Amino acid sequence: MRAATWTGVNEVSVETVPDPQILNDHDVILRVRRTTTCGSDLHLLGGYIPFMRVGDVLGHEFMGEVVEVGRGVRERKVGDRVVVNSFIACGHCWYCRQELYSLCDNGNPNPGITESLWGQSPGGCFGYSHAMGGWAGSHAEYVRVPYADVGAFVVPEEVSDERALFASDAVSTGWMGADLAGTKPGDVVAVWGAGGVGQMAARAAMLLGAERVYVIDRLPERLAQVREHVGAETIDYSRTDVLAELREVTGGRGPDVCIEAVGMEAHSSGIQGAYDQVKQQLRLQTDRPSAVREAILACRKGGSVFVLGVFALMVDKFPLGALMNKGLTVRGAQVHGQRYMPRILEHMARGELTTEHLATHVMPLEEAPRGYRMFKDKTDGCVRSVFVP
Amino acid sequence: MAVPRILDSLRGAATEAGGALLGRLQHVRLPGLGQSSTTEDPETAARRWRAVTVLCSPEQVGTGADLPAPLAALGDRVELRITPAPGDRGTELAARYRDRPSDDDLRALRSALRESKQLIEVGEVLRVDPAPHGVRRPTPQGAALEGMTRRAGGEGVL
Repeated sequence: MRAATWTGVNEVSVETVPDPQILNDHDVILRVRRTTTCGSDLHLLGGYIPFMRVGDVLGHEFMGEVVEVGRGVRERKVGDRVVVNSFIACGHCWYCRQELYSLCDNGNPNPGITESLWGQSPGGCFGYSHAMGGWAGSHAEYVRVPYADVGAFVVPEEVSDERALFASDAVSTGWMGADLAGTKPGDVVAVWGAGGVGQMAARAAMLLGAERVYVIDRLPERLAQVREHVGAETIDYSRTDVLAELREVTGGRGPDVCIEAVGMEAHSSGIQGAYDQVKQQLRLQTDRPSAVREAILACRKGGSVFVLGVFALMVDKFPLGALMNKGLTVRGAQVHGQRYMPRILEHMARGELTTEHLATHVMPLEEAPRGYRMFKDKTDGCVRSVFVP
Repeated sequence: MAVPRILDSLRGAATEAGGALLGRLQHVRLPGLGQSSTTEDPETAARRWRAVTVLCSPEQVGTGADLPAPLAALGDRVELRITPAPGDRGTELAARYRDRPSDDDLRALRSALRESKQLIEVGEVLRVDPAPHGVRRPTPQGAALEGMTRRAGGEGVL
């Protein structure tokens, strides 16, 4: 089959690779119908997560049609049109039973790497390096889906492929951030990052009853999408002092909930931006956390900060004093998507959650290298490149 | 020695180095980073109980020949401690060698505990290989990573 693979730092190729096989009883094989780039892929591409091997198949946000099922699969059958969560979770361990699916004890066959880095190992993720299990990704004609009864959800007839695709990760991640940050009716919510995940965190906050939602970014086309498709207000951080603006629009309190949807390659201006760039390039810190810092400083006393962006290891100049003295709750997670996808698909079927606008560039899989270039450089207003194998 | 053989030899060394690096990674202590307490001497560390918590009752873990196959295969060389976990978290399944284990022994024990947990909770051990991939252009980093992933099921802090 054809697949898009990582072939070096900032280098993607499309090549012929072996077809996937059923290896466990709970597997299905999916014919991929849609698969999309995600901002977190850029950390892999750029070499910031040094556990990729040349030839690894990329992609973790996808949907498709079941073409083969393992003998232990009970809920899915050949012909089902399904969307699959990006994290691989067994559904049986204590973490899965608590609906903390991305923390699954059994979904990562390489726990030695992540235990050594973080003390414990989270679950596995499709196409996201050998640290996260070495699973082949979805930018391919076919993909193997382990634990398919747990992670693959049938798409309602009235939901298009383009809409369902983003339930896989962008919407479920955004929804999780808004939910686990404790968003309540009447809250003011601020979201850093107007990519797919940030937009969907904002939309989820609105559906959970937030009174006002602000999304912060610098790219005009993304901020325009937020206003037009999400219905939230926007702040351009390249023109506006974000802390001052948020204080002003919240009566001096600060947002009740702050959601960071940027990750380890955050842009920032001035001395902070230069400082973080230099330290990251010298490997004195692995991540650039400017959006997290700002979220902590912006948040109201006793408020909640949720870290949705992907971080690898260590950061510097972390405002621990603000966190402690303001009594903040700070939480983060990879996506517990299995917990939210049934509800998300219902919202999608009712037209309350639309995502088609995120797919600004839809192209054949063969054009994946171009799609990633556009996505990385943010040219031609690219929010997401979507591949059709 | 022909150039291809030298390159093969270097790649083999990188693979070994990658595996060895992973084995040492959890013991690395950089000034100002991570653990602030002392590290134990290798003798004490090797004698520690290694434990997983399995979401089942203590009876479901089994005993003797009824133990999950990966643990049963270690036989009398290991002693087991099976106790209920607090707060309905299942059962704490701990094991350690009766004699002084080698690094290979410890890797085998970690793998056996992880695989036993999967067999009890899910009914099968998850496999990832063979996974589809493109051409693996030989690089030192790739060889080192291959060494790491070969050992990753038996390494870690467990």
